[in-house]
Amino acid sequence: MLSFRGAAQEAAEDVFFGQVVVIWARWFIIAAGAVLVLWTATGATQLSVAILPVLILMGMNFYIHGRYFVERPVSQPVLILTALVDVAVITLMVLFWSEQKGLDSPFFVLYYPLLLAFAFVMPRPITVAFTSIVLAAYLGVVVTVDVLSASSMGDLFFNDPTELKRLVLRVITLSSVGALGSYYWRMQRESMRRAIGGSGDHASGGTASEAVVAAGGR
Amino acid sequence: MMIDRFFGNDRLDDAIHGQTALVAARWILILSGLFLALWAPGPVEELRTQIFFILALAVVNFYLHAQLLKRRPVVASLAYASSAADIAVITAIVISQGGVSSSIFNFYFPAMLVISVAFPTLAAFTFAGSVVAIYGAVGAFSGTASAAGFEDGTVVLTRLIMLAAVAVCGNLYWRIERDRRRAAMEARDELAMEIADAAAASDAFTNSVPAIKERS
Repeated sequence: MLSFRGAAQEAAEDVFFGQVVVIWARWFIIAAGAVLVLWTATGATQLSVAILPVLILMGMNFYIHGRYFVERPVSQPVLILTALVDVAVITLMVLFWSEQKGLDSPFFVLYYPLLLAFAFVMPRPITVAFTSIVLAAYLGVVVTVDVLSASSMGDLFFNDPTELKRLVLRVITLSSVGALGSYYWRMQRESMRRAIGGSGDHASGGTASEAVVAAGGR
Repeated sequence: MMIDRFFGNDRLDDAIHGQTALVAARWILILSGLFLALWAPGPVEELRTQIFFILALAVVNFYLHAQLLKRRPVVASLAYASSAADIAVITAIVISQGGVSSSIFNFYFPAMLVISVAFPTLAAFTFAGSVVAIYGAVGAFSGTASAAGFEDGTVVLTRLIMLAAVAVCGNLYWRIERDRRRAAMEARDELAMEIADAAAASDAFTNSVPAIKERS
């Protein structure tokens, strides 16, 4: 009955049980995106183009949620890939949607639940990489929009302390959500290892996988 | 006592994990709040208010951190009060900076995250509902009736949905992990009982061998 429970198995269990958090985070993002698009579109063409990314996310989430219902959740690489699609869609919304683009775009808040859900499910190195990608994408879009819309060097946002402060605050809170999510994930892993009788290190034997599978985990 | 029963964590382990995350998040809030307040500060009255609240939070957080370092039991009412104070401080600064236009609302997200994993579902959702209602009210009172006000309304609604998302996702994860841990502990206990039963049976057999030898 005793079995070796390594990092790979723990990661697989985390993806198995935790991906419902990512799914729900995406439903919230879809809801918020739909609200923003439906309420702020000014023309039929604009609305029909802007709703497309929301529909893509919905289709993707229907598929993943459906698989979860039949107890065939998607694998870790697929989950990472879909999270990257989320980041791409949100970043495109920050870049193109409405009059308020870049730093003025209200869409950046959609990153928060995405970062959090990802940090809860993935090991720390992957979370750090993902959080860095999100921050780089957001900063890239902000700088791009600012450079394209500025008429002179003096108009750039980093010459205005208030604007720069606004951006730094967002970067701090976005990265702290990723970091806190990952910190809590790590505490949960250690707690689980203690619960199955290990000392907290990876090589401890135990029966957690059988236990959680037997319990259904939900 | 009553607050403990109403919100009570059913396991001290859950409470300690949640409190550690809460204390860490509050240090982030305090340090980044102080940094942002001192960088390109606004009017002196506003700065004075900000620094006062931030230092008060730092004192409370130091006390809570000390309790955790000494591995003393978490006082539930103090934990709830300090989380309520976090929300109150963020809200006070948001209001002092003009409501919806203030960027400080971003601090609600890490605060909401740790509340959702530090407290049981009922308490977490009570906090989350309060934050959504308070920020919704701030948005309603600081917006205008013009087209810009309509835009503001959409922006506020999006922020409220995202705040709810963080609370729901955080608490959903908390519940999943709690159930996994309980299942693992039950399995461990069952295994321990099986081993004890097997050991007892083995002892009984070993003790019976001399009697068999004597008879033969």
